[in-house]
Amino acid sequence: MSRAVLLPVAGGAAALLIVGFVIGAVGAAMLGRDAFLPVPQVHLAPQPIACLGGTMAGTACEGGFAVTNTLLSAWATTLVILLVFVGGTRAMRLVPGRLQSLIEMLIEALYGFITSVAGERNGRRFFPLLMTIFLFVAFNAWMALLPIYPSVGFTAPGADHVTTHLFRSAGTDVNMPLALALVSFAFVEIWGLRVHGIGYLREFVRLGGLFGGLRRLNPGQIFYGLVDAAIGLLELLSHLIRLLSFTFRLFGNMLAGEIVLFMVTFLVIFLAPIAFYFLEILVGGVQALIFTGLSLVFAVMAVAPHAAHDEEHHADAAHEAAR
Amino acid sequence: MLAAPLLAEEGASGIGALGVDLTSLLVYLVNFGILLLILYFFAYKRVLAMLDERSGRIKGSLEEAERVRRDSEEREAEMQRTFEQNRQESQRLLAEAREMAQRQRDETRRQAEADVERLKASAAADIRRERDAAVEEVRQQFANLAVTAAERIIHRTIDRKAHQDLIDEVLAQEGAFQSDGEAR
Repeated sequence: MSRAVLLPVAGGAAALLIVGFVIGAVGAAMLGRDAFLPVPQVHLAPQPIACLGGTMAGTACEGGFAVTNTLLSAWATTLVILLVFVGGTRAMRLVPGRLQSLIEMLIEALYGFITSVAGERNGRRFFPLLMTIFLFVAFNAWMALLPIYPSVGFTAPGADHVTTHLFRSAGTDVNMPLALALVSFAFVEIWGLRVHGIGYLREFVRLGGLFGGLRRLNPGQIFYGLVDAAIGLLELLSHLIRLLSFTFRLFGNMLAGEIVLFMVTFLVIFLAPIAFYFLEILVGGVQALIFTGLSLVFAVMAVAPHAAHDEEHHADAAHEAAR
Repeated sequence: MLAAPLLAEEGASGIGALGVDLTSLLVYLVNFGILLLILYFFAYKRVLAMLDERSGRIKGSLEEAERVRRDSEEREAEMQRTFEQNRQESQRLLAEAREMAQRQRDETRRQAEADVERLKASAAADIRRERDAAVEEVRQQFANLAVTAAERIIHRTIDRKAHQDLIDEVLAQEGAFQSDGEAR
């Protein structure tokens, strides 16, 4: 860039930063004035926008189905994904156009990742679910960075700013990560059952050693049988705990990202939030990849031949490493 | 921005404060299920089919290229072999021709030598014959001369036949003109 362009741009940016700082919360506190933006309020639960078959009582929906802002954004995300992916693949050509190339690139990348971990046959089985999880988590997170999310909403009577946003990232509603975690959990267990049959449950109910020991009245064998039974219980517990870790990893990341963006915007209005926007773009992709990758690992473990306890440990280590 | 008092949810506590709600959960599940189904039938299948087709085509063309390469290699080897064969054939022919020429030359030379030998022999025979004839003639003339001379000397005509016999006898005794031994 030439000097003639660079200088005004740098000057403008510096001016924006200074103005943002001065009228933002930090500068306002120093100067003893009110901040330009209202203090962000943190809601853990989503707010209803409409109440189907019930009545709105203040901000709560009573006796009906609440269409929350997070649900609305989930629908918007779904719609966008469908538009892009179904629209972009409607007329598949051997020599693809731009959109088709992009879609193919994304699908091929994830498909390659999945088949490299799970193998060709299992990869094909796992792919649709994992790809959808990835797309939903990533698009949901990225779309929440659009300005329409924090700016459009309803104002409560008597308030002078938006009190209920029309859209709010679905990841910040614990129900969405929980739903995804349940789906992932259910599919993993179903795949395990379909591959190993009812014998899959032997992973959790390990009473063979205990009964054998009791029959022979061998104290050593009874002891090992007890330990084995306890391991089975732990295994069961670990599968259930996955639900929680899936849910709260995504929920926590999405909510924290949202709060950080609001707070930084509140503190320094211009420019500074941009760094965090980049961070959130990254976080959205990373979280989508983690959710997909962990589901993949669990699915591979579930369909792997048994006596795969070593892998379990590896997977747990990976689990720990993923935030 | 987000309104209402900080962290003020509707008086709920524990898991309720997080906003866990069975209806929402169900809606999210249904929503995700629908998304999964539509994407599966209207996007993934198409894209994967296209990827498969493309990779199939690429594999096909690679195999085709490999086949063509092998073919051309084979053809080249075949050509090389033919060439080698031709070379050996021509080498052989050349050697044969050379040998034949050599034989021809030897034959010709032998023939020529034989001819020369024969001619030499025949020439020698001619020469001998000529000489013998010449010697004979000389002897005849000498005999005639001797007879004539003798006639003259004794002036009388004697029986020619008796003279001849006499002379022959003398010559035979002399053996001076007898050249058979030398020529042989």
